[in-house]
Amino acid sequence: MRKKPWRQVILDGATYLATLLSVFALGMIFFYVIREGAHLLSFDLLRGDYHARGFVGLVEEETQGSFNLTGQQGENRYLVERLGLVLEQSFDLAGDGVIKVAYIDEASPLRRLTNQDPTSEQSFIGLETGAVLRRVSYVDHPTSLTSRGAASMARDMNDPDRALREVIFSTEGGGIRGSLITTLYLIFITLAIALPFGVLTAIYFNEFAPINRVTKAMRNFIETLTGVPSIIYGLLGITVFVPLTVRLTPAENANLIAGGLTLAVILLPVIIRTTEEALKVVSQDHRFASLALGANKTQTTFKVVLPQALPGILTATFLGIGRVIGESAALIFVLGAAIRDSVRIFEPSTSLAVHIWSMMTDEPANIALSSTIALIILLIVLTLNLAIKTTVWAFDWKGRRS
Amino acid sequence: MSQKHTALSKIDALTQRTLTIFGIVSASFILLIAFFITIRGIIPFITDNNGAGAVNVWLFLTETVWLRGPTFVSSAYGVGFLIIQTLYLAFLSLFISFPVGVLTALFIAKIAPKRLASVLRSIVELMASIPSIVYGLVGVGLFLPWIHALARALGQQSAGGLGTLGVMIVLALMSLPTITAISEVSIRSVDQSLEHASLALGATPTQTRFKITLLAAKSGIFSSAILAIGRALGEATAVSLVAGNARSGPNFGLFNITSTLTSTMLEGMKETVGIDYDIRFSVGIILMIVILITNLILNTLKKKVGNVHA
Repeated sequence: MRKKPWRQVILDGATYLATLLSVFALGMIFFYVIREGAHLLSFDLLRGDYHARGFVGLVEEETQGSFNLTGQQGENRYLVERLGLVLEQSFDLAGDGVIKVAYIDEASPLRRLTNQDPTSEQSFIGLETGAVLRRVSYVDHPTSLTSRGAASMARDMNDPDRALREVIFSTEGGGIRGSLITTLYLIFITLAIALPFGVLTAIYFNEFAPINRVTKAMRNFIETLTGVPSIIYGLLGITVFVPLTVRLTPAENANLIAGGLTLAVILLPVIIRTTEEALKVVSQDHRFASLALGANKTQTTFKVVLPQALPGILTATFLGIGRVIGESAALIFVLGAAIRDSVRIFEPSTSLAVHIWSMMTDEPANIALSSTIALIILLIVLTLNLAIKTTVWAFDWKGRRS
Repeated sequence: MSQKHTALSKIDALTQRTLTIFGIVSASFILLIAFFITIRGIIPFITDNNGAGAVNVWLFLTETVWLRGPTFVSSAYGVGFLIIQTLYLAFLSLFISFPVGVLTALFIAKIAPKRLASVLRSIVELMASIPSIVYGLVGVGLFLPWIHALARALGQQSAGGLGTLGVMIVLALMSLPTITAISEVSIRSVDQSLEHASLALGATPTQTRFKITLLAAKSGIFSSAILAIGRALGEATAVSLVAGNARSGPNFGLFNITSTLTSTMLEGMKETVGIDYDIRFSVGIILMIVILITNLILNTLKKKVGNVHA
């Protein structure tokens, strides 16, 4: 006798639906980030500056010439024969519509402009291939603007009646090199501090610590760290690590060392737990054998036990890298959210995650570039997950063989 | 076991002493955090804040507006509404993540074939390792337009979708893998003989799963919810992107803008001096206390629930 089969169908249905929803949630995240961000992914993005450097150049002498630009035609390219210039309607690294210089002749008068920036020592500047044209102004004629498009700008510049006055251009911006380098620095600094610290602490608790109320309390204290929100670590960073590093290093303000120290504390419980789990599964017999052969406890621990816990330490490293890459709140507090192109260890800058936050809190938010960075982060996270799985798998396999 | 061995050699004694220092330092970080944040966070209450006057503790805890009066001049800060909103949003997100997470865990542990289960487990692990800022980004780019459209369809006002519903969805997504992973482990470790007994008594597999397995695993499932709440209470960047940063409240409507303790701490981080900066540490203290008390209450509740055997 089946009782109320519809009820079971609903319950089973709910179970399947929930699972589908979970899978769908992950799929949606990847789908969205790829749809919005994949088109901006390029090596230039990884290499490029985020901030465009602007220049204002005065056109002093204008040679009325006619340059031969055959072979330069193409889609979205507009020729300016009068000045030996090819403009292209294009996008910068951040996905904003811009007018780029696709080609400039060696003899073009725009190669030599008087620098209007009084703070610069350079007296002459010049347009080069890849530069972004912002504005071109003429004597007695309305200015050509980016918003009217490359076709209109090329037509204006080609007009022999218009004498050029000023060319305002910039380098291409929107790259993420600074944040990428910062992230690498932070990973390195954080692991350099947290790994030895965490591993040695794990060794202490698993191999040397007496089991009593004090060590139990100490374990509890470390375990409590996992429940502390990252924004609180940020507060710790600005009150303790920033003043500490300012005093001990050449740094004058918030700096990457302080950021790394903060992240190291965040990683500490993870590294301790993972390493300890690896130490626990090391066979007791190995310890006894080593001791019986006359090795002292220090030798046994560091030469027999620790090498066997290496896969655990490796897993902890991967977990740590993932955490550093994803961390945002703590770093915003310690290092701020100002994106830099030149990264120095003793100065603040943003990691990739903070770069996203910084752009998302801007007006207007740059969702396209944020998604591209998110895509990069997701790819790294995916790789780390696979690396952890491989480590565990390889370790199991080796363990079964011996 | 270390103490069982007879006298350690000199080098071992040195190693032990060195390692003890590492252990002590690692254990003292939590005290360091508590100490320094308390010291900094208490400043606005006991000094006159460069003429703005000391912050009134009672008003601070009960006030429904973040700041009355101009910045740096007034000291009438309040987090009462933030405390309520923070708790409200965390528990609200559980309405989505808890059922979905537990049922997904049930599917992985009891229904899915081995291959599928391991694929699903990897998916959950991957979701757990996605940084919160990415959830925030997807929340802004994907969900806010949907929420805005939904609000319009229902004839409601919404600030471009920013607000309670957005935070609820983002927090639910973020805590989903936590709930699934921990529930799955506890469901898998339910004594199989209980299930066999239920099946032998004539219960269907579905009845067994819902009435025996889930009930037997409730302690672990409850723990997963506690962890999820803890994570939701402390989440900052993702929430700050979708909350709308309301400066007064409490707001409960799904389409109203809202704010949490953490999102307010992130607001206006450009100021680095004076009371408007120091007050963030005070909010930090409140956040820690809120998390601590919530955890205590939920853990007590868990013990009560766990002791009653059906």
